[in-house]
Amino acid sequence: MENALFYVMAAGALAGALGVVLSRNPIASVLALLAAFFCLATIYLLAGFQLLAAAQILVYAGAVMVLFLFVIMLLNLGHAGPLPRVDRTMFVRRRSTLAIAVVAALLGASALGISGMRAAQASFPLPAHGLDTPESLAASLFGPYALPFEATSLLLLATAVAVVVLAKRARRGPTAGGRG
Amino acid sequence: MNVPNAHLLYLAAGLFAIGVAGFLLRRNVIVVLMSIELMLNAANLSFLAGSRMHALSSPGGAPDPQGPVFAIFVIVIAAVEAAVGLALVIAMYRHKKSVSLDDAGELRG
Repeated sequence: MENALFYVMAAGALAGALGVVLSRNPIASVLALLAAFFCLATIYLLAGFQLLAAAQILVYAGAVMVLFLFVIMLLNLGHAGPLPRVDRTMFVRRRSTLAIAVVAALLGASALGISGMRAAQASFPLPAHGLDTPESLAASLFGPYALPFEATSLLLLATAVAVVVLAKRARRGPTAGGRG
Repeated sequence: MNVPNAHLLYLAAGLFAIGVAGFLLRRNVIVVLMSIELMLNAANLSFLAGSRMHALSSPGGAPDPQGPVFAIFVIVIAAVEAAVGLALVIAMYRHKKSVSLDDAGELRG
């Protein structure tokens, strides 16, 4: 039962990912990505990572995707009318050979590597409490990973400042070239 | 769930490949950013698959927190990247009135 749910969710995640790349309307892309993230959160839950599933839904589905939707609506990029059936300007055609080569190389190399891994072929029954208990996560976040944790707080502060500087309007005046 | 860990890794590889294709092929900057998010999620999934494999090899299936810890760091970095990227998109739209990568070629060498 759980295994069947995993394969359904894996198919859903792949379909959502394809929807992101193939849909013509950016709003549809965002919704497809949202569906893929929910499928991935379910997979995390099935794989025994409860805390990460919650973080995936809170941070990705809750915050990041709302940011994407907000920017698309702010810039008024969604299409109101019917879209052309085939949009030739959507893809960069001269890069298609490169893209096919990179994707084929990636898939081939990872298939070779994964099929050669002995540990990857096994599966095991989960411990009842899952694999990421809050206690064990906190013990490593505030123990051996305390320095990266603090660096992350600095990164978040720098990001907040950078985003405000980037997104605010250019000042009116001789230095800003007079643009409002 | 009793799925072999290889299937988690195959799913991660598939998601990453789709993200690479979107990153290389699409013109819309916002869709390119979403493809990057997709690739980061694939990386997260392989961190978690590695954590499962490690728990399998350790005695008693003890939880190994390193995979989830790195996945949390990746989630934070992805959120930061989305915020900065979308601020850049807004700045570019204000400057060029477009979100197509074709109109952002001035810095290309």
